[in-house]
Amino acid sequence: MIDEKGKQMDQAAVMERVVKILTPWVKDEKALASVSLETNILEDLKVNSARLVDVVIAFEDEFDIEIADEDVDSVNTVGDAVNLITSKLD
Amino acid sequence: MSGESRLELSGATRIHHLVQRAIGRLVAPLWLPIAAVVLRFFCGHRIENRPSVQEEFRRLRADTRSPLLICANHLTLVDSFVIAHALAPAWRYAIDFDALPWNTPEETNFANTPLHRALAYLAKCIPIRRGGSREDIANVLNRVVYLLDRGEVALLFPEGGRSRSGRISSEGAGWGVGRIVGAVPGCRVLCVYLRGRSQVTWSDRPVKGDRIYVDLACIEPKSDLRGARRTRDLAQQIIKQLVHMEESYFDGRQ
Repeated sequence: MIDEKGKQMDQAAVMERVVKILTPWVKDEKALASVSLETNILEDLKVNSARLVDVVIAFEDEFDIEIADEDVDSVNTVGDAVNLITSKLD
Repeated sequence: MSGESRLELSGATRIHHLVQRAIGRLVAPLWLPIAAVVLRFFCGHRIENRPSVQEEFRRLRADTRSPLLICANHLTLVDSFVIAHALAPAWRYAIDFDALPWNTPEETNFANTPLHRALAYLAKCIPIRRGGSREDIANVLNRVVYLLDRGEVALLFPEGGRSRSGRISSEGAGWGVGRIVGAVPGCRVLCVYLRGRSQVTWSDRPVKGDRIYVDLACIEPKSDLRGARRTRDLAQQIIKQLVHMEESYFDGRQ
């Protein structure tokens, strides 16, 4: 995976950017402070499910990828999102 | 029907639908008239301009070449029943059971006792758990897509839940409705604006004896966008139509 500056992006870098994107939609800021790959986006971070579409569009813009509706079906945790994005960047 | 939907259902789920539809159709002549009597006489709900609403729905149903998804604003727990009651008389559903919309009530509201589960099953409900796993929600959406592709009617509330403010939130359209419309080529959306004349915000039921205002508008959302932007664009077209209908309602009251 190469980012826009030509640098290799590891999982930690993708996660950092994923968390930054999620932050405006997070309702439980305490959960955000201890976020990990296992953190559930809807249940733990309390992101409104109706706003998931905005989150996905933000992922597409940030990483310059396209995410199909079906791809989102397997995304429950932050780690799922990181893995999905990583697979699109490969 | 197009048969071009991108979503696939398992054989077991298809059989499940066939059985649910068959049992529902079999017992419909028993419970449909009772439900209509309860709504009309015990609850006292009267649908304004019901003949013209039913004529419009009958006309839309007559065109079975393209799928029909009903999208409505959501203020009470019984909106789906009231909408079905408004769109056609009970006897018509008994004859044309496919016209009775499938709907996706919140599981915790309608499937918490064996009796409720049985009634929901007979009334063509596919319970959904808001905030549930993406896989479970995707499975429900896939089932709705499958049913629409077969020429059946489904009913969704794009806002996902009852509006706490009593007004449609233009930010409220979820992922699901856009995804369904995007997956069903040529899908028509029958927007239904429903509101008891005494309704202020949200509630379990309309006020007893209330007159119910119903407005219909059929649109065919389209988008040249791709991916999630397309899904959001399609959902927003529906919400904008409902917001427009709500504005017309309140303008008419002034």
